[in-house]
Amino acid sequence: MEKNIAISVKGLSVSYDRKMILSNIYLDIEPGKIYGVVGPNGAGKSTLFKAILGLIPLNSGNISILGKPINEQRKNVVYIPQKGEIDWQFPATVMDVVLMGRYPHKSIFQRINNQDRNIAKEALEDMGILALKDRQIGELSGGQQQRVFLARALCQGAEILLLDEPLVGVDITTEEKIVRLLKRMTEKGKTLLVVHHDLSKVHEYFDCVVLLNQRLVAYGETRKTFTDENIAKTYGSQLSVLHRAAHENEKR
Amino acid sequence: MEGFFEIFAYDFGIRALQASVLVGLMCGVLGCFIVLRNMSLIGDALAHAVLPGVVVGFVVAGAGVMAIFTGAVVAGLITAFFITWIQHNAKTKNDAAIGIVFTAMFSIGVMGISKVAKTGAHLDLDHFLFGNVLGLSDEDLYLTFFITLYVLVSVVVFYRYLFATTFQPVIAETMGISVKTVHYFLMLLLAFAVVVSLRAVGVILVVAMLITPASTALLLTDRLKWMLVISGFLGMLAAVLGLIFSNYYNTTPGPAMVIVATFFYLLAVFFSPKKGLLFNYFHKRKTRIRVESEDILKQSYRLTLKGNLSISSLKARLGMSESYLKRLTKSLRKKGWMEFNKNHLKLTKNGENEAIRLVRAHRLWETYLVEELGLSSEQIHEEAEKYEHILTEDILDEVETKLHFPVLDPHGSPIPQKERNPEFPLANLNQKEIAQIAEDQINDYLLSTLWKLGLYPEQDFQVLDKQENLLLLMVEEETIAIPTSLARKVNVIQ
Repeated sequence: MEKNIAISVKGLSVSYDRKMILSNIYLDIEPGKIYGVVGPNGAGKSTLFKAILGLIPLNSGNISILGKPINEQRKNVVYIPQKGEIDWQFPATVMDVVLMGRYPHKSIFQRINNQDRNIAKEALEDMGILALKDRQIGELSGGQQQRVFLARALCQGAEILLLDEPLVGVDITTEEKIVRLLKRMTEKGKTLLVVHHDLSKVHEYFDCVVLLNQRLVAYGETRKTFTDENIAKTYGSQLSVLHRAAHENEKR
Repeated sequence: MEGFFEIFAYDFGIRALQASVLVGLMCGVLGCFIVLRNMSLIGDALAHAVLPGVVVGFVVAGAGVMAIFTGAVVAGLITAFFITWIQHNAKTKNDAAIGIVFTAMFSIGVMGISKVAKTGAHLDLDHFLFGNVLGLSDEDLYLTFFITLYVLVSVVVFYRYLFATTFQPVIAETMGISVKTVHYFLMLLLAFAVVVSLRAVGVILVVAMLITPASTALLLTDRLKWMLVISGFLGMLAAVLGLIFSNYYNTTPGPAMVIVATFFYLLAVFFSPKKGLLFNYFHKRKTRIRVESEDILKQSYRLTLKGNLSISSLKARLGMSESYLKRLTKSLRKKGWMEFNKNHLKLTKNGENEAIRLVRAHRLWETYLVEELGLSSEQIHEEAEKYEHILTEDILDEVETKLHFPVLDPHGSPIPQKERNPEFPLANLNQKEIAQIAEDQINDYLLSTLWKLGLYPEQDFQVLDKQENLLLLMVEEETIAIPTSLARKVNVIQ
């Protein structure tokens, strides 16, 4: 397969409880760019991530990561979940979390050694939070918490990062700082897919966009793709679905 | 004291001690993962559900230790499997599924035991319900030892799998760790631990040995590795102390162990250095007293200006009881902020400075709320009343600089200024004069503000023009405008 494609999705369909969530998606994600994944609630953004990560069964289609199936690319793909999905009270330190990035590099009986710790420290240094390495994760501010997970991605040496709404619940200054960090990651050649809700910032933050609403509406360079017409296509059908649902409800 | 340790003069006592140490340690360590995974109910369920396995093992192979052990482990695994199966396939709530399966299994076990007991065989229900640590055979002890070793080694070897799947199961999955396999492996360890612990504490109380020391440890630390160590140690200690006390007071060991563990837990709830209730209480009390003391200082300052400072005038203003006021003023005197002069209350110079600092914080914050956040001047007093006690000097410096050193607050009252003024203010320079920003400024935030505007220390600039509200400076062929209000506070050197 072509080497210069980070993620290649061909004919992907996923359903859950007999309801179609993604249908017939074709997508080629180019390396070294930051993609915004945009669409209304229930558009299948998280499902797309889960499919790429190989966490759910596919109805049809196949996905390859840097030319190989996901099971051979575990080291290269990192998922950063929404803040709400993380137990911040868990007795884990920043270092513990970042060291998780080394797990995919280890076979069952191999131990975490000093070399791994040094790699983790470098990643922490790079994210500017080395001084916080012994803190419990719940003691950090929202921006610092995001940095911990970015550091884990660096520590893992992953080429592809999937981020589910990393900018939710942080203040505007922190948001800008995180976006700068994300852009710095692309300068290192990493590929980033970011689920994002605030449409006003899409042009500013992302090189490319993926407009999704169960079907793929459009994808490509933000400048050319994130047009009023495409936005209407993406969100318009959601409106009509809501409208139809309300109508069905009234009929009862 | 001798009576306490009398039990260890006997072989069965030594065996009981060894088994208690092992069981306490193993349950304490394993319990950490049970607690962190919110699986306390499953631990309880497994413990109850092994009973039919015990009966079957007994009937099929006689009273052999291995037969009963095998039967119990199999029953535990069947239970774990059924629970998981129902949770995934039937539309039943998760905890209800656990309840349904384990009560059914337990019932089968109880019925089996009463049936077997009628045949005259020696299978005592009480021993399974409440344990029988004093009746252990050498064989029992060996089994307990090997199982404990197996569980501990497993936890060490598979630590990172247990950690990752407990902390972030989805992430663990994306790293290629099979969360399901780890879940069933943990169930197996749990079944092992439960079965050998039955001997010591019995079906009903095993869950306490799993979750009580672990919950105690979680109150004492926020590092998983330390939690495992502390929990294992507390489990061990509770088991041994329980054994000793129960023997001395001639009661059942299992419940005594649980009571000791619970006692440790209660101690931690109240006295944990970071998460304890007592710590919280004192922390809150300290904060409250500090706020009230600061209010006294502020009011004393105002009353001093009116020449009317006394306990009774303070009482009228603050609405505190006289005795309480006296106590707080006494501590203020100890700090050197107040003094008694011929029975008259008086602020010292330090106390006055402190009061002025509070007034400054209050009024600066009010100004900030109005000018930067657009609140109306009626809304701000309460807010400032709270924040004057919280704002640090750094934040105040920043606020003051951002507001360009305001002189009056939104109510028209003067904002106390810092006593120091720049030795050589930027605003005093005349047109065409050349100077540098001084390293030493009255306000730490000034340097970073100037830096953002493009002005650094050790860099020459020239005054291009002085207008009414503005100073125009020339720095390396760039023009920078500085508001005069700011320029008055900037220290320069020539």
